[in-house]
Amino acid sequence: MRGLFEWVGAMESSVALRESLNAYPIMLTSHVLGMCMFAGLILMMDLRLAGVGNFHSSVTDVQRRLFPWQMLGFAISVVTGLLLLFSDPMRFYPNFYFWVKNLLLVLAGLNMWYFHATTYQSVSEWDNDRTPPPGARLAGVLSITFWALVIVVGRMIAYADLVPQWWRDLNLAG
Amino acid sequence: MSLEPFFIWMQDHAFSAFILNSTWFSPIVQVLHLVSLAVFAGAVLVVDLRLIGVGLTRVPLARVASDAMPWLIWGLVALLITGWPSVMSTAMKQYYSPFFWWKMELLLLGLVFTFTIRRRLTLADEGRLGPVWPKVAGVFSIAVWTGVAIGARLIGLLS
Repeated sequence: MRGLFEWVGAMESSVALRESLNAYPIMLTSHVLGMCMFAGLILMMDLRLAGVGNFHSSVTDVQRRLFPWQMLGFAISVVTGLLLLFSDPMRFYPNFYFWVKNLLLVLAGLNMWYFHATTYQSVSEWDNDRTPPPGARLAGVLSITFWALVIVVGRMIAYADLVPQWWRDLNLAG
Repeated sequence: MSLEPFFIWMQDHAFSAFILNSTWFSPIVQVLHLVSLAVFAGAVLVVDLRLIGVGLTRVPLARVASDAMPWLIWGLVALLITGWPSVMSTAMKQYYSPFFWWKMELLLLGLVFTFTIRRRLTLADEGRLGPVWPKVAGVFSIAVWTGVAIGARLIGLLS
């Protein structure tokens, strides 16, 4: 894994991006804007799912009609996120919060997948219910939790030194 | 009138010293500021998209707006509470950063617009608004808040 990160970091395009004065501010600012669009609209959907907000819309309405905009925000976040990683892989490799963020992204994805494969199958029966069934509410609350934590640890990547001692002992920075 | 004495007062305040001496206070405040931003952005954007004529178009505009309003307000309150310590503890840096003033001017514009023109538009009878003004308002709102976020991010990166 370390070899892969080092190899990418040594690529000409990675070095060029890293040494560019404007690339980092542009990538990071776009990443935040993409996050706002994605996480913000995911939250609006999850509030309906959890039974705590946006009651005037049906569940499928919120889900289907916000989906393209959530995906646009997601695409911006992913592209700029991958560019940030590509531009300086060895900054992220030893970073505790970077790996926790990846783990949380997987958990958020699994939660969405599981919900769509199970409770969401019967959505036509509870589409207009103010309080969706427990499975849907749980999926909504878990989704809010995971994505909020993704934002938390994403911001914490900037505080690379504020990590548990056992992580320091791993000495990934070499 | 210069605001410099006020910023010097903030910088020299005991609360600023406490923040700067604390390891975890600033990171926690920054994290909460960003989470609050996502809440606020979602509540703003869901209505702006509806104004533009996409997203939750099956529900009347006034209802989309009233559903979003509590999240907009609480997101905003959380943003102000979590933003305040950052301004205080780095008051002089903020004062001399052009991006801080860019952010504050656009923020003021965004707030005034949101609670006057945009609020009236969302409460008005949709049939009488015509097709153009809601779209203009939606695009304008997204543009102003995007400007606030860009200015905010650049305070930390370029000043």
